[in-house]
Amino acid sequence: MATKAPTQTEFGEVSRIKGIVFKYVSFVASIVGILALGVLLAYVFWDALGLESAGTGWYLAYTGTLLVPLLAFFAYARTRPEVVAGAFELFSLTLAGVMLTVASVIILSIIASPAVWFAYFLTVVGPLLALFVYGQYEREATWVGLAMLLTLVAGPVVGTLGLGILTTLGSLLGSPGVYFLSLVIPGAALAAFLAAERFDASRRLSLGIGVALPALAVVAVPLVDTVPAISRSVWLIALVMLGLPVGYAVANTARTRERRSAFALPVIAVAGFLAGGAIVDAIGATKPSPWLDWQYLTSSPSISNAAEAGLYPAIIGSIFLIVLVSVFTFVFGVGAAIYLEEYAPDNGVLGTATRIINVNISNLAGVPSVVYGLLGLGIFVNIEAQLGPLTYGGFGVGTVFTAALTLSLLILPIVIISAQEAIRSVPSSLRQASYGMGATRWQTIRNVVLPRSLPGILTGTILALGRAIGETAPLIMIGAATTKFSPPAGLFSKLTAMPMQIYAWAFLPGEDFRYGVVAAGVVTLLIVMLTMNSVAILVRNKYQQEAN
Amino acid sequence: MSSEGQTPDLSGDRGFRSVRESAYKYALAGCAVLSVLTTVSIIAVLVLDASQFFAEYPILEFLTGTEFSPNLEPVSFGVLPLILGTLLITFGAALIALPIGVLTAIYLSEYASKRTRSVLKPMLEVLAGVPTVVYGYFAIVYITPALNAAIGVLNGALGTEISRLGLFNGLSASVVVGIMIIPMVSSISEDAMNSVPDSLRQAGYGLGATKFNVSVTIVVPAAVSGIASSFILAISRAIGETMAVVLAAGSQPPDIPPVQQAFGVPYVAPTDILSLFTESSATMTVAMIDIASGDISGGSTAYKSLFAIGLTLFVITLAMNVVSDLVARRYREEYE
Repeated sequence: MATKAPTQTEFGEVSRIKGIVFKYVSFVASIVGILALGVLLAYVFWDALGLESAGTGWYLAYTGTLLVPLLAFFAYARTRPEVVAGAFELFSLTLAGVMLTVASVIILSIIASPAVWFAYFLTVVGPLLALFVYGQYEREATWVGLAMLLTLVAGPVVGTLGLGILTTLGSLLGSPGVYFLSLVIPGAALAAFLAAERFDASRRLSLGIGVALPALAVVAVPLVDTVPAISRSVWLIALVMLGLPVGYAVANTARTRERRSAFALPVIAVAGFLAGGAIVDAIGATKPSPWLDWQYLTSSPSISNAAEAGLYPAIIGSIFLIVLVSVFTFVFGVGAAIYLEEYAPDNGVLGTATRIINVNISNLAGVPSVVYGLLGLGIFVNIEAQLGPLTYGGFGVGTVFTAALTLSLLILPIVIISAQEAIRSVPSSLRQASYGMGATRWQTIRNVVLPRSLPGILTGTILALGRAIGETAPLIMIGAATTKFSPPAGLFSKLTAMPMQIYAWAFLPGEDFRYGVVAAGVVTLLIVMLTMNSVAILVRNKYQQEAN
Repeated sequence: MSSEGQTPDLSGDRGFRSVRESAYKYALAGCAVLSVLTTVSIIAVLVLDASQFFAEYPILEFLTGTEFSPNLEPVSFGVLPLILGTLLITFGAALIALPIGVLTAIYLSEYASKRTRSVLKPMLEVLAGVPTVVYGYFAIVYITPALNAAIGVLNGALGTEISRLGLFNGLSASVVVGIMIIPMVSSISEDAMNSVPDSLRQAGYGLGATKFNVSVTIVVPAAVSGIASSFILAISRAIGETMAVVLAAGSQPPDIPPVQQAFGVPYVAPTDILSLFTESSATMTVAMIDIASGDISGGSTAYKSLFAIGLTLFVITLAMNVVSDLVARRYREEYE
């Protein structure tokens, strides 16, 4: 080929060069976006963690103790998919546990006081849990579903009416007592249940786990008291919210022989961190001064002093939003998906209506988010409507409730579409079998369709929530505050959220803000999203494994 | 199920059961109707408030006005500069995302091994998952300085005199919007290429074609309807993109370049258009954010103009989504 003139092509001649060049060009094209984002992320992490100021000794110490062993572990795990799966599960469940703990501490002891939480636990959460457990064991009891719905409606009313008495009861118990009763006991029951059902532990062992968890909670109290940073309440919450996911991951990894070497990852991480810290102290190397630190997460924002600026009100606002949005979208999204897949007729006039609804949902998913902001502004903020004796005046400018409703409408189409796909993937032979045994349509949905499609639904919902937590434009449109110095106090007070705070800071000209404070905010937001996405991937992988 | 009537009823609670069945059915139907209500209320809110705006400000002036200044007296609400800004950024983003997206799709569906694909695809999805406000931050803090440095090097090496980028500029906005819509192009195009039957590829190989020939002359033409629909969807997404553009492109709408005459034919000098990229280039979405962060108490003309711009944006993106759907359906090659 090289002997011929390149311009002359003869019959039957093919050019290898062209093919090879094309292959590499298309390969480069497929990684160029990823690389660009990777470089940008590296920059922002570098800035947020203040790595520039670290000395050479610091880098050398941590390279030796942490980076090299980690790379060696990755090289070892590369060809062992079981180890990768185990390590991923340990990593993401630990991260998720930490997030859950932080969110629970904030929700249970800062947003709602322990006494108020106790009141609603007694009237809403407790009865719901009890009914659910009863329904799982007593399949004959068909009234359980309706009773749960009724509790959901009546419970809050009863709780609000009896708030005075119940909060007194709660304060008599003290906050550790409240958490012990409302979190540790149900958590112990859940752990025992998981041990028996998931891991086929013997009856005695699962009972032992169920007893050991509350015992540990109490026995460790003197030890916890010696650490001033951790109060007894935080210890109890963390035991359940962090201990259960980590315990699950550990048990699941230890169960399979091939997976056990995945434990090397946490060992390397912790040991490397400690060893690195010890070496750095010993040689006196300069440590980095990160922008993203405890002070940053717990302070109010500042627009003048970068060193004191923090993200605290925005974090609380985002947690408020994510909780409300997940409740709204899960209920309505899954409900709509079940109707469209299981009930809606697909022929005749009503069939056309079903098709229109489906087309409508996919078009709603393509509407720009800023237009949803206008929708929220139009129907939740600036509205005056007279409905008989009731006047509906919206839910206020930029309040938590308005923002949650607007974001829910925004991600609802995405949740519906992914839930529909999950429901569609349940084989219809299973439905037929259920009908053949005399089950009604709702019984089939509840006992056959929903359990099979739940992992797919959860994956889609978590991914959509990840989108909601990063949305800014709709919040600006409904008048959420860009900078707020205190967290929202209730559903109808103004809020700010993490992306709003980033937007507000990004225009400040100071170098400290540009490359420090904002970068730390971006990293916080990205870590939250990373956790949510990896939990979603974990759920999906688990589902695919079980389906095979 | 219609067969339910024939099953013998042994439980004896038939009345309760049928009440419960229909209660669940209607509750679920209510959830589905919510999506229709959402659409109806979007349209109602936009049309009602926009019509109030058009009562105060003539619709013709809105659509053909070349000046947009909602805050300075005398106010004017010509939407053309905003549309020009939107077009600029969308054009720049498409220039980046469309070729890269299609090449990515070809690589993933034709060349990549199963393992490579399983790594690359989730990573590409991450590009679309990063919050857009983060992309906006990247644009002002990292990309604009980098582009300025590149322009400096270019000017030094070639002796050209490309002007430096402003703090807010259309170019960096185009780059980040381009990066974030790559996965939209690549995933839909790849689906279309995957659904091209293997028999077509085998026929190509049987005739002695190389892999390159098969990819470019068989697979791509066979999947062209899917590729076209992915282009339209990605462009529609770029048009509606908000936060990245708000941060990167600034709030000043671009000046409409002067129309020049050459031999009686009107034209706009390409350099005039290119220079627009170096300056602030507000889009429709930016103008909406700008007005909303100033005053959303209602009543003022500027407030009502929000809904007029929103309606324009909604109509454009909806039309593009519908067209994309039609293209995918109408021009799909049927193989089975």
